[in-house]
Amino acid sequence: MTDEGRVLIVPCSGIGKTYGSVSREAAYLVTEDLRLDETQLVALSLLVLGDEDARAAVASHPAVTIDGCKLACATKMVKQSGGTLAKDFDVLDVYRRYRDFKPQGIAELNEGGLKLARALADEIAAVVDSLREQSGGTGDA
Amino acid sequence: MPEYLEITVDKFTFRVAIDRAYSAEGVWAKAEGSRVRVGLSDFVQQRSGDAAFAEVKPVGTVLSAGDEFAEIETIKVNISLASPVSGSIVEVNPNLASSPEAINQAPYGEGWLALIDCPDWEADRARLLDPWVYFDLMKGQAEEETRS
Repeated sequence: MTDEGRVLIVPCSGIGKTYGSVSREAAYLVTEDLRLDETQLVALSLLVLGDEDARAAVASHPAVTIDGCKLACATKMVKQSGGTLAKDFDVLDVYRRYRDFKPQGIAELNEGGLKLARALADEIAAVVDSLREQSGGTGDA
Repeated sequence: MPEYLEITVDKFTFRVAIDRAYSAEGVWAKAEGSRVRVGLSDFVQQRSGDAAFAEVKPVGTVLSAGDEFAEIETIKVNISLASPVSGSIVEVNPNLASSPEAINQAPYGEGWLALIDCPDWEADRARLLDPWVYFDLMKGQAEEETRS
């Protein structure tokens, strides 16, 4: 798969918040493990800064956002950057589906937080697969 | 639509609806005939964070003022709420199971928690705070939290 066919993963950049940590942990799991060759991590801060490469990337690739709170900064910035939003995840909504995985901690997530991040990552990976199928898996997503 | 007392502390703005009474813990009570609708104050919902789950005791539960009637789990804390009145629960907000965020979005409206049949509202009302008193209490709590 070429770089052009990758799905962008844009997590929350909020620091000091457990749900932000879950969003980033899930993003790392997807981009560094589960779908290493099919995805690319984009730092939200680059979009906020108006970084040309980051804006060009979201303008030309489908993006999956992961928001840590209702401010939904990741989703808003992808939209403001002219991106195509393939799916937006809200960590709180994900937690409501996996109540046994109560996240705690910030610098180091507890077991519940890590499990929640894994569950979220699996859902994101499924979205990536769906996008790949829709595009024929040719890298034209 | 209720009118509000309002104060901004640091970057947060808190509102207190003036058409109801409050417990010191920030649970509001609004009489509707012989029944009393109860919910969380704006200050408490903001301080507690986004609600993930809200569980209210079922219809038919008999309460004395001060009894626990609901538990709310937020992204920050688990809070146990004491009933501001005595009576029996006759209705639980049906939207809370699927949309607990209503507590945050409309704490004085669609985010209500329960409707309680309250046989002696006047007695219960006498133990509660009027909105101006609660406003001062809440203001002090908000300013103290900002300093800490």
